[in-house]
Amino acid sequence: MSKSSFLGADTIALHSGYQPESDHGSRAVPIYQTTSYVFDSVDEASALFNVEQGGHIYSRITNPTVAVLEQRLAALEGGTGAICTASGMSALFVTFFSLCSAGDHIVSAAQIYGSTITLLKHSLKRFNIDCTFVDINDQSAVANAMQDNTKLVFCESIGNPGLAVSNLPAIADTAHQHGVPLVVDATFATPYLCKPIAHGADVVVHSVTKWIGGHGVALGGVVIDGGNFDWLKSGRFPTLTQPYEPFHGMNFWEEFGPAALAMRIRCESMRDIGAAMSPHNAFLLLQGLETLSLRMQQHVRNAQAMVAWLQEQDAVAWVNHPDLEADAHTQKLFPKGAGSMLTFGVKGGREAGSAFINGLQLSSNLANVGDSRTLVLHPGSTTHSRLSESDLIAAGISADLIRVSVGIESIEDIQADFGLGLRAAAKVAAAQTAQAEA
Amino acid sequence: MYIQVDQANTFVATGGKTFTASLPTVVLVHGSGTDHRTWALQARWFAFHGFSVFAPDLPAHSLSDGEALTSIEDMGAWLVRAIDTVGVDKVHLVGHSQGFLVALEAAALLATRVQSVTAMATASAIPVNPALIETAHTNPGLAAQMMLQWGFGNQHQQGASAVPGMQPIGIGQRIMANNPLAIDLTACSTYTAGAQRAQELAAKACPSCVILAGQDRMTPKKEGLKLAQDLGAQAQVIPHMGHMLPMEAPKQSLSIMKSFIQSVENS
Repeated sequence: MSKSSFLGADTIALHSGYQPESDHGSRAVPIYQTTSYVFDSVDEASALFNVEQGGHIYSRITNPTVAVLEQRLAALEGGTGAICTASGMSALFVTFFSLCSAGDHIVSAAQIYGSTITLLKHSLKRFNIDCTFVDINDQSAVANAMQDNTKLVFCESIGNPGLAVSNLPAIADTAHQHGVPLVVDATFATPYLCKPIAHGADVVVHSVTKWIGGHGVALGGVVIDGGNFDWLKSGRFPTLTQPYEPFHGMNFWEEFGPAALAMRIRCESMRDIGAAMSPHNAFLLLQGLETLSLRMQQHVRNAQAMVAWLQEQDAVAWVNHPDLEADAHTQKLFPKGAGSMLTFGVKGGREAGSAFINGLQLSSNLANVGDSRTLVLHPGSTTHSRLSESDLIAAGISADLIRVSVGIESIEDIQADFGLGLRAAAKVAAAQTAQAEA
Repeated sequence: MYIQVDQANTFVATGGKTFTASLPTVVLVHGSGTDHRTWALQARWFAFHGFSVFAPDLPAHSLSDGEALTSIEDMGAWLVRAIDTVGVDKVHLVGHSQGFLVALEAAALLATRVQSVTAMATASAIPVNPALIETAHTNPGLAAQMMLQWGFGNQHQQGASAVPGMQPIGIGQRIMANNPLAIDLTACSTYTAGAQRAQELAAKACPSCVILAGQDRMTPKKEGLKLAQDLGAQAQVIPHMGHMLPMEAPKQSLSIMKSFIQSVENS
């Protein structure tokens, strides 16, 4: 198994990448709120610009506070390096941008986040990068979608919002048989619940805005280079194995090997696209990361309790959570539980669902997940509203689907709040029944 | 660049610039199980400051084909054949750990063609625990982890990186797990001529530089100091760093390397 640290995960989350600095002994990671860094000399500046030494030049490229978060996340996922970005979407974009060029092709899971579908289906299409969407757990479908110009297979470890668990080892095998890497968005899982690199993934992406940050106060994303993919042997990745003119013909694979992708993203995407994470956001996200394991335990415990509770409610039509009737691969990938997202439908369809959400007092109706507080949303009219009806079906979204990001409040209070919503939904459903009978 | 050595395709890193035989040449030799990326940053500095860089992957390591060599003497002779392939006359030899043992053997063969030698985090003998060698035979990935746990100093064990955002332990693990670590470690462990070779260089007044790590547990500082004595060199110790010195402290190690090699060039 690939390792990047010999510390335990909880220790990494608290200590990795930072030791109290010598000037002031600050125990907390300081916020280096600066755009730029003074060079010791012209020679040093030159060496930094030409990657002859490590260090900081400009905070669009690197920043000491952001670097601590990057090094912790790389260590937690077992990667060789990490690049933090302004958001999860920018992390996805720089990954695709670094691996694909005009004329290339991506194979993606159909059941993924709505904005990622838009990126793959429409935005990248403008740059002549095509995407084929497949049932990602159907390996013959994945294999059949491969083309000579395919550059990667993409999936989410737990799909949003359908909550299908991707069989990462099987998908990785298929991808590798065709000489392409597996890129996994592991936002819903966090490294506490599942480390995709250990299961065959080559690149891991997170929206750290979500559970890793955990407090709903800062946006951020990260790309983690797994370091196991042989870009040269594949023969499909000139961006990593051919000279890169803007850096005097640098060949990222030859010079940096297992960290080639991370270095390419750093040198090109952060410079040209500039989707940098702010140092203050990195600080806030570090506060969240430090307690990730504790929060995830409570998230999962509450989610499992809510699933059981919802299944007993008369007003509920159906409940979905990956741990329900879990496949063998789900149990193997998520031995500590498959996250704190659940979906359900209420009797009475979309109208009753709206009544449910409007009836809540404690839980928040908003477009985010992974906050410590319980969040609810109707994806069909919000995050996935831009999808066509057929795309909604492919993404596993029914009209009545309510998405719940279960928080870490006292479970009795979440249940009491949902009880209010369900009573409101039941009234709508009863009115519908009465109207139908009249 | 790729060259042919003993009919095998051999990768030689040149620091990002085209190799030019007429320039002063710095030969960078990696240690057990690693490859040219040990010197990723130092190589670029030399290449962009008036030197040619010759940093090969030894046979069967990373980007080089061929059969792994089983003795330090064979590796030294191979290095000379590789250098001769590109038509270089005089060289500055730099070696990390096992790489310096290889450099010592190459220096004996190159004789007056050696302008200087630089030893980094090494000793004249590197005995290896038989249990580690056995593990490297049966489970190379685990052996790589053992070496990295032992090899990196405290700061890097706690996630420090000279290059922002990177995880040097993870990078090292990927490289070492796929290279012939067991063969390298056996070659190191059975090599006994280091002290004699070092004394021979001192007798010839070959300029030498020894750079040691304060937290080196693979080749402890006291052993490095003995090597420095044999070479007639002043050892310089970088504190708070471990055996993987070129990756742990690239800036500090480069600073010493370049001062020394430039001074030899200017003398």
